[in-house]
Amino acid sequence: MRILVVGLDCAAPELLLGEELPNLRRLMAAGVYGSLESVVPPITVPAWMCMATSQDPGSLGVYGFRNRVDHSYLRMETADSRWFRAPTIWDQIAMEGGRSILVGVPPSYPPRRMNGLRVGCFLTPDPATHVFTHPPELGERIRALVGSYPVDVKHFRTEDKHRLHREILEMTRIHFEVVGHLLATEPWDFFHFVEIGLDRIHHGFWKHHDTRHRHHDPGNPFREVIRDYYRLLDHEIGVLLEALDERTLVLVVSDHGARALDGGFCINEWLMEEGFLVLRSRPRDVTSFDKLDVDWSRTRAWSSGGYYARVFLNVRGREPDGAVAREDYEAVREDLVARLEATVDDRGRLLGTRAFRPEAIYARVEGIAPDLIVHFGELAWRAIGGVGYGRIHVQENDTGPDDCNHAQLGAFVLAGPGVPEGGELGGARLLDVAPTLLGAAGYDVPASMQGTNLLPGVSLGPGLELPPGTTLRPPPPPPDSDHLVRERLKGLGYLG
Amino acid sequence: MRYRKVVVLGFDGLDPGLAETLMAGGELPNLARLREDGGYSRLATTLPAQTPVAWSTFAVGANPGVHGIFDFLSRDPATYLPQVGLYRHEQKSRFLPPRAVNLRGGTPVWERLSKAGVSSTILRHPCTYPPAPFKGRLLAGVGVPDLRGGFGSSAFFTTEPGLRAGEGERVVVVELDAEGRATTHLLGPGLPQGDDLRSSLELEVDPGGQSVIISCPDGGFSHPVRVGEWTPWVHVRFKHGLLQSVRGLVRFFLGGTDPLQLFASPVQFDPQVPLFPISHPWDYGAELERVLGPFATLGMAEEHNGVTNGRIDEGAFLAQCFDIMHERLAMMRLELGRMERGLFYCLFDTPDRIQHIFWRFREPDHPAHRGEPLPQEWTRVIEDYYRLCDEVVGEALEYVDDATLLMVASDHGFASFRREVHLNAWLLENGYLSLRYGVEPGEGAGDLLREVDWGRTRAYALGLAGVYLNLRGREAEGVVPVEAAGSLRAEIAERLGGMEDPLRGKAAVRYALPREKAYSGARLDDAPDILLAYAPGYRTSSAAAMGGVGAGVFSDNLRRWSGDHIVDPSAVPGILFMNAPFLGDQARLLDLAPTILDALGVPGDGALEGGSLLP
Repeated sequence: MRILVVGLDCAAPELLLGEELPNLRRLMAAGVYGSLESVVPPITVPAWMCMATSQDPGSLGVYGFRNRVDHSYLRMETADSRWFRAPTIWDQIAMEGGRSILVGVPPSYPPRRMNGLRVGCFLTPDPATHVFTHPPELGERIRALVGSYPVDVKHFRTEDKHRLHREILEMTRIHFEVVGHLLATEPWDFFHFVEIGLDRIHHGFWKHHDTRHRHHDPGNPFREVIRDYYRLLDHEIGVLLEALDERTLVLVVSDHGARALDGGFCINEWLMEEGFLVLRSRPRDVTSFDKLDVDWSRTRAWSSGGYYARVFLNVRGREPDGAVAREDYEAVREDLVARLEATVDDRGRLLGTRAFRPEAIYARVEGIAPDLIVHFGELAWRAIGGVGYGRIHVQENDTGPDDCNHAQLGAFVLAGPGVPEGGELGGARLLDVAPTLLGAAGYDVPASMQGTNLLPGVSLGPGLELPPGTTLRPPPPPPDSDHLVRERLKGLGYLG
Repeated sequence: MRYRKVVVLGFDGLDPGLAETLMAGGELPNLARLREDGGYSRLATTLPAQTPVAWSTFAVGANPGVHGIFDFLSRDPATYLPQVGLYRHEQKSRFLPPRAVNLRGGTPVWERLSKAGVSSTILRHPCTYPPAPFKGRLLAGVGVPDLRGGFGSSAFFTTEPGLRAGEGERVVVVELDAEGRATTHLLGPGLPQGDDLRSSLELEVDPGGQSVIISCPDGGFSHPVRVGEWTPWVHVRFKHGLLQSVRGLVRFFLGGTDPLQLFASPVQFDPQVPLFPISHPWDYGAELERVLGPFATLGMAEEHNGVTNGRIDEGAFLAQCFDIMHERLAMMRLELGRMERGLFYCLFDTPDRIQHIFWRFREPDHPAHRGEPLPQEWTRVIEDYYRLCDEVVGEALEYVDDATLLMVASDHGFASFRREVHLNAWLLENGYLSLRYGVEPGEGAGDLLREVDWGRTRAYALGLAGVYLNLRGREAEGVVPVEAAGSLRAEIAERLGGMEDPLRGKAAVRYALPREKAYSGARLDDAPDILLAYAPGYRTSSAAAMGGVGAGVFSDNLRRWSGDHIVDPSAVPGILFMNAPFLGDQARLLDLAPTILDALGVPGDGALEGGSLLP
């Protein structure tokens, strides 16, 4: 049995499962589907690797795109493929002799060796100048097929919406062409593809689409861009499905959902206001955190921004110029949690902010974790790391126009031989994906995996033993009855 | 490259005899000017002279033995059942998508151009469902089914009890309550389990009897329609379980309210969300709908069934035909307006349908009048349509410059259809076909060859084109040994040729050919074993085409479907006009793909059976 995973970065359950997408609907009717609870934080890196390893971000030691690599104040590095060493689905399948193809599964730069093929994700610097595939010569084949291969669109936080739209569509077309080609011409047991275009189109066009967005303009020309893109994905998925045989397990899945962004919460401004962060001099203009003149000896906490906030405590003996005594650590953190969870929006309403302690939500805490991970208003507000706005709530974003944030719930649809027509499956978590796929396809599940198999009764195995009562191929439809033959043909006027 | 653009306007069934007569009378000014400035020829068509066969030969530049389209209908040798000969639907397993498969083989000219980097826009070319990818845009034509998966089945809602369903329709007898309301439904796709998807309809007749309000809760529309009028296209939706639904387009015509006579067209694929792809790129149909509004997508969308079954009158049919002409014209304007280079093709199907239905008004003694005097009302409709086609040409000429080659072509001409030939009856009378013991030919033999005694049958007729052998190893109960097939084909063809109509004392069949004499190519084995070339006025009977075994070999054609063209191809050539002089006056459909390639500077190859007409 083979496994095809179509990963749609940022696919929102209300759209993926709620819109009338005929190929998705057919899969839903044939299998199980539902929303899929992502990890904290629900961010592309590390979420796809959490899915592949069935380990939470703490266990992987990766808490977002950028992570601290030591206890100095400003040094953060972007997690790349080398950061991840935990056994993945494809590692397990390779151990059992299977071959995998990964296209765009983040992070996949630099391309690591594996039993099979790998095509780089959007974190690849430039496919024209950098090796973006394993083996490297696969890159040449792809160029021969589609010309230059875009791993991402340029500057998706832009006001040039026409350019962005055109580039996303073109990129997606090329991705699916390459995937379709590899799917049909290469041997594989596990095929995992992630399309990043959906994330980009959400970030670029959400306010145009979402009538409840603060800045929605009902007359805007981009209203249907997002829905049309889902229809395009559905069509492309239909084309991929056509090329499959009936011995393939198909999973369409997202790493997190999407939601309207109400604004930015200036976390460092707020920490200053609350007395946790002290500057020697206030900047006159908006200034990123790493350019600020921080008085570290009097600073107890600082934060880095993004879709969520990573708050770090300045701990004596841990940070170079620590201001929080070890014995006060918990009390200070407690105080911060209480204050963060009491934050309000620009209209004075309680935000519903959650501040997570890593050790409370992760099985293990590896690497250098933030002391608190903060979701403002269930991610209705993003965290702004810069200072100089002169206020806590802003509508502008320090990294460019963006009107969407991630949502905790992604979505999945799973169908294939042996998967029951089970309808909606509640309570599925992103960490359950790998054990479910491995289990259903008859592979061993590594002990390191933290999720549970959602379909414990289903196991077809590489040898395709069928569980009792199931058949691989549905019984052939009854032969067309004569009246149907007449009905179909007699509309031809020549026969009337 | 000799031209930047090639524009091909197809007018289905435009007959050279009629066109020449009108031009001789000073009419059809645009076509006449083309003939003068460029050239004109009668255009040799295919055997059989049939839309899907002929246009496929146009596109592929090869005989039907290469492209594999021999007739609207084919048959399944495992069941002896007739089936659509243009496409097939299949599903490998329940969670994989069902898909449509185009049965036309060979490489159409736009795919040849695509390989050379030249793009095309192809509107409604037959046998393009489902579309294959190429450089350009395509909206599929003849061959696109309705949501029921066939050529089109309409519905007729009436309060008149006991009304019998005609051909390709469902008659639904409804009862109005005291408020003049009734609830009924449209049928959508059938499911493999045998159920049909339904979409409920609520009808409300107004107290004055002048109109009906049609509401469709699942489609979200509510539409009033007055007596004698069509609704515009309305969207309907067929729910399938909790998750899935299929959307379609339908039009209604209200013939009267007492008794209620409400006609519903076949439910067509919605170009926004077609059941199977009908365009390339896949969302091109949706783009057209957004720009131009909803349009007919069914392969043969003109409501000829409504008129042959007597559910709508000629006026209503004509009105709907005009709507389709205008939908197509809007597409033509849009695409000619934005096209800069390459091939443009647009087929106007409607002239063919008009001639099928209105032919009888040209002939006072046509059997379809059943002895009644010729009504005066519809006698000029066909000529008027030729004038309309000429105006379309005039409009297209506005987009034609020196660097544009314009071709105006039809796939076949037209003839009368007065006498039906019950081919299975002839096979029965001549000892090639046997019925089960005790079954009499005629009504008792039913249809679909159900009463045929296969163990004693060497040949049978299905479809419009010819005769099949009951071949051992191919047919489920085949009896003819493979080594005897060749001589049997020749023998039957020989005997069918010159077959005489005793009533008229003239040959009804000019000649018949064993298939190896008619075609060559990889798909030869899919062809009927024997092909017939009827004399004008004759055609395989509708009943025989569906596997009936008639009580006699001949009968009068009494139906409103009174003109046809599935006769000896030399009697029904098409037309070809070009805006540049071309070689000779013996042009063939086969020559047009090479001509297009030549005009655009793309080399052909040995698979092309014709040659360029350009000097």
